[in-house]
Amino acid sequence: MLITCPYCGPRDVIEFTYQGDGNRERPQPASQDLDAWNAYVYDRLNPAGDHSEIWQHSGGCRAHLRVVRNTITHEILSTEFARGGHKSADNRAEDRP
Amino acid sequence: MAEQPLPERQSPLEPEYHPGSHGNFEHGVDVILSETRPGSILQLAAWPGEEKRLIEIIRKVTGLALPDGAGGGVSSGGRAAFGFAPGKFTVVDEAEGLAQAFAGSITPAIGTLTDLSHGRTAIRIAGPKAEWVMAKFFAIDFALPAFPLGAGRSTNHHDIFAQIQRSGADQFDIYVFRSFARSFWKALCHASEEVGYEVQ
Amino acid sequence: MSPRRTETGGRIDRLRTIRFTFDGAPYTGHAGDTLASALLANGVTLFGRSFKYHRPRGLLAAGVEEPNALVTVLRGEVREPNIAATMVEIYDGLVAVSQNRTPSLAWDIGALNQLGGKILSAGFYYKTFMGPVIGPLKGTRFWMFCEHFIRRAAGLGKAGTAPDPARYERMNAFCDVLVVGSGPAGLMAAKAAADQGARVILADLEAHFGGSANWSGETIDGMSAADWAQRTVAQLGGNDNVRLLPRTTVWGYYDGNTLAALERVTDHKEVAAKGEPRQRYWAIRAGTVVLATGSFERPLVFPGNDRPGVMLAHAAERYANEYGVLSGQRIALFTNNDSAYRSAVALKKAGAAIVAIIDVRSDVSNEMRRLASDAEAELLADHAVVATEGGKALTGLKVQRFDAMSGALSGDERSIHADSLLISGGWSPTIHLASQAGAKAEWDPARQAFLPPKPTHRWIGAGAFTGSFSTAEAIAEGRAAGLQAAGGAESSAPLPVVEAAPGNPDPAPVFEIKAKGKSFVDFQHDVTAEDVRLAHREGFVSVEHLKRYTTLGMATDQGKNSNVPGLAIMAEALGKPIPEVGTTRFRPPYTAVSIGSLAAERFGDLKPERLTPMHDWHLANGARMYSAGLWYRPMIYGLAGETVEQAYVREARATRESAGIVDVSTLGKIAVQGPDAAEFLDRVYTNMFSTLAVGKARYGLMLREDGLAFDDGTTWRLGEQEFLMTTTTANAGKVMQHLEYFLDVIWPELKVTVTSVTDEWAGAAIGGPNARAILASCVTGTAVDNAALPFMGIVQGRIAGVPVMICRLSFSGEMAFEVYSGAGYGTHVWEALIEAGKPFGLVTYGLEALGTMRIEKGHVTGAEIDGRTTARDLHLDWMLSKKKPFIGSAMMDREGLIAPDRLELVGLIALDNRPLNGGGHIVEELDEANPHDSLGHITACCYSPALGKYIALALVKGGKARHGTRAFVSDPLRNRFGPVEIVSNHFYDPDGSRMHG
Repeated sequence: MLITCPYCGPRDVIEFTYQGDGNRERPQPASQDLDAWNAYVYDRLNPAGDHSEIWQHSGGCRAHLRVVRNTITHEILSTEFARGGHKSADNRAEDRP
Repeated sequence: MAEQPLPERQSPLEPEYHPGSHGNFEHGVDVILSETRPGSILQLAAWPGEEKRLIEIIRKVTGLALPDGAGGGVSSGGRAAFGFAPGKFTVVDEAEGLAQAFAGSITPAIGTLTDLSHGRTAIRIAGPKAEWVMAKFFAIDFALPAFPLGAGRSTNHHDIFAQIQRSGADQFDIYVFRSFARSFWKALCHASEEVGYEVQ
Repeated sequence: MSPRRTETGGRIDRLRTIRFTFDGAPYTGHAGDTLASALLANGVTLFGRSFKYHRPRGLLAAGVEEPNALVTVLRGEVREPNIAATMVEIYDGLVAVSQNRTPSLAWDIGALNQLGGKILSAGFYYKTFMGPVIGPLKGTRFWMFCEHFIRRAAGLGKAGTAPDPARYERMNAFCDVLVVGSGPAGLMAAKAAADQGARVILADLEAHFGGSANWSGETIDGMSAADWAQRTVAQLGGNDNVRLLPRTTVWGYYDGNTLAALERVTDHKEVAAKGEPRQRYWAIRAGTVVLATGSFERPLVFPGNDRPGVMLAHAAERYANEYGVLSGQRIALFTNNDSAYRSAVALKKAGAAIVAIIDVRSDVSNEMRRLASDAEAELLADHAVVATEGGKALTGLKVQRFDAMSGALSGDERSIHADSLLISGGWSPTIHLASQAGAKAEWDPARQAFLPPKPTHRWIGAGAFTGSFSTAEAIAEGRAAGLQAAGGAESSAPLPVVEAAPGNPDPAPVFEIKAKGKSFVDFQHDVTAEDVRLAHREGFVSVEHLKRYTTLGMATDQGKNSNVPGLAIMAEALGKPIPEVGTTRFRPPYTAVSIGSLAAERFGDLKPERLTPMHDWHLANGARMYSAGLWYRPMIYGLAGETVEQAYVREARATRESAGIVDVSTLGKIAVQGPDAAEFLDRVYTNMFSTLAVGKARYGLMLREDGLAFDDGTTWRLGEQEFLMTTTTANAGKVMQHLEYFLDVIWPELKVTVTSVTDEWAGAAIGGPNARAILASCVTGTAVDNAALPFMGIVQGRIAGVPVMICRLSFSGEMAFEVYSGAGYGTHVWEALIEAGKPFGLVTYGLEALGTMRIEKGHVTGAEIDGRTTARDLHLDWMLSKKKPFIGSAMMDREGLIAPDRLELVGLIALDNRPLNGGGHIVEELDEANPHDSLGHITACCYSPALGKYIALALVKGGKARHGTRAFVSDPLRNRFGPVEIVSNHFYDPDGSRMHG
């Protein structure tokens, strides 16, 4: 499986670390809402089909990516930096040679 | 009291570093391996939006003008710089003390400087079979159009993380963690036996 | 010249003789021969014994699909079993032996199994190895004993036990176009793509490119197809953008157009060049793949179809045209399609007599009738072979009138004298790679074959792979595929002109001739047509179940010959059409792949390891090394005659009495820098770091999001916006990822960079009553007294001219300091400290003494922070700040995590003065015969020189409340039972007076 890192280009899946379901929302740090924390820590979507996931390019630039992957075909539909905004601020990904 | 001069830095490769020709060299030496031992290896990071300012500082301090583009880099004389991650650059100088040269200019508003002069080991592979040998280790495309001159790449060989810069048409500089350097060097020599190699 | 070698023809070099042995007997062959062709030329007909029945078997095929002629190749002590003789290129000194026979191939005791044919039917293993479910033998050892012999009687070659000294390598390759298969279609595709400037890899599992062109006898562009292929390969070889990979089997098709291939680099060589790998595992990332993998000829299923001398028609044609070897002098052919007629003509031309062509069809075309007469063969249309004769070689066959519509036989049997029977049951495209890529094959009723469907990945098919069996079609499709793959426009330029024998590609739908006797479907696994029907009768109706129950298609050849005939017979038994029965999906690997090539450089000396800057010093000074993850660390510095326990006890005692020094370079070190660094640490650690003064260090604890303890270590504030975090050795990578995740995904607004600086610093911890005096004697540029360097203080100075950073902190419980220097100066500083320590009796100590002193102090490590314990369990609740939220703070007070019966950290003292073991259980009442009711377990243990006792740390239910009580260790695995006292984990100097000085 190849994942296209917005910085490094297409790389083999062995360079990446799966960091879980990308649909989780972390409660505010001071929140005491245990249900919300429980959902964040333990609940994972597990769709048969397109799934938004977080992957770290741990064997490359170490950036975290938001990857939309089809869990049936393994097709990667999109990848972007998980860190919102960095891509546009850096503007270095698009003009990769 | 005058300070004692610093001792020579110990190479992590020492017991496994054997200058001379090795492997299948009777049929010609197709790669040359060496440890370049730069005095300074720095990592510079810019906060989002500050990348251009950092690139400008790198140009002012080192004279190296980084080209645009992810992984863009340049290698000139005893100095080299390349991007290895979003907003992050490795800057290398054969002389020691590059960190001090940057000290005043990288302000907290721009980003950070981390001195890795001891923590990374620089290994150079050069020669007509350099791409061939590199392909044994790293799952990245080493062909010139895909990996242009001066450019940098972050990748890994099993647990060994590596930053690689193409410093010549058939020359690569590989920066690995010091603790892994000997292990990687041994593997690199082993993989080069087939094509014949010389350690300089 | 050997009896079956033709005078001329073929690609072998008759002037070069090569000597080899098979089953100990010397043979000769020629350069260009395979083991199969060379033995065939020598008149060898018997190549192997079958899997179950030990029936004599000869060559069925000439290529990778060969099911019978499996041999073991010996190189020195190393044996490689189960290689098809058709894929072994001979070299001088080759030693090959046959398999699955005792004592010899000709006289095989196992052949008695044929008499028990009814017992060894389908599902034999499932039925047998369940053992009797009732009766005296039910579940007995006797049955297990029998199983050993039954299993030994059936089988393939034996694996060797000697270590394999060969070198294997992995290669990564990238290309625009990967062409798999180098027949006319593949060559055209590669040429067309290369001419467009694309980066092309052409791979073929055979030693020589050309595929069917090498033996078809056809003419392309006015020259022999073999010459045309050679010319095209030469043209390709001259291009910089083309990589030619002969002897390379593309065996796996994975996601993202990543393909796995195995190149046999030196298997055909007498001696490998220096450094040359035996095999290379290629991981190829291809833009587009052109599948030009050709097709396999299918056997027909009839009684005696496995007798040596029965061969696929094209294989005999190939042996004659490519290797100059005749399969026999009197050849009969048995077919359901036109392609065998071309084979007949070719063999006639090569010098054999064609005695008969037996065709199941009644409507044999005039063109085929003409070819039969060209071959001077008697044509028996509407006939079928019903039996074969002979022992270890064929002597004749019996034919009978056959009705292709009903399958009925009629009339008298007629005997035909022949020494070679060639069979053709139609052709199956080699769709394995497309199937691996997820494509579901589609049945084509005209071709009577599964054809590749629409691509699901970026591949394009060409030639026989698509069911286009003529060379002219292959050439046209190959060029179109190559152009399309390279992004070129369609070409209207004229194509190479092919002159070939005529033939209709569609066979008659006849797979089996039902007559008396064993008719084999899967030659390699000895599955007969009757086995398939038996499986059906026993209720196996799914093709996937059929495969597993009968083992059809499950041997090393993976059903390359048997797949379609097996399905056809199953379909008939079910009374369903073949497409409704379906086919199994092919999985990687396409052919057997050596484990060595997959392991490649990942074992032995080439396994990555991490060494500290002082590694060589440790080795030179008697350290026994210990692997901790990838790191190597000194375990003890043993003196002559010392046991491990004696060594660490001496080291720990000397440290507490005077001073000791230990290499702590492996501790994870992370530079945490930026304007928000302090804020970030406040969120990450359970305790405060924003209040930490510059030049001071603090012990910190991290929790996971779920509230359980994660890691601990000290973090040093080197500047207002600069911290040096240390982690445990084992968790360094995990902590780094944890920090990166939060900075990148959760709190991208924080301006913080984290960088691994583990390798930047060499670290030495020096501790003991004399540690400060030693430092004072060698450090310049700073004082190290209590005022300059208080507990948890940091100073910068120099040792032996080298800048160092010294932090006063203690893991051993003694007055202790960690001295950090640039890694390149690590040994220099270490040696200076050793020198300075000499007057004080400074000892070097290893992990064992380190562990001993930390157990005496009751400090926790990964053994206690095991992913199940909370801060409270470890008595670290004093570190949980109430002033701020931190990672894990919301979840750490959940009911289950504060329950009173949780396992808590305690100390144990062995009351019987015997060693305790990690993992041993703690119980209230000792019951050696029936150990039960564990209260917890031991996490770490040692002999404590400070206490003079065997002690341990343990996690025990309701731990603190049990202090001062008695319990027992219960460790049945190691037979260690005995009384212990439960005490506080702080065994030694609980108020810390020693380290505070």
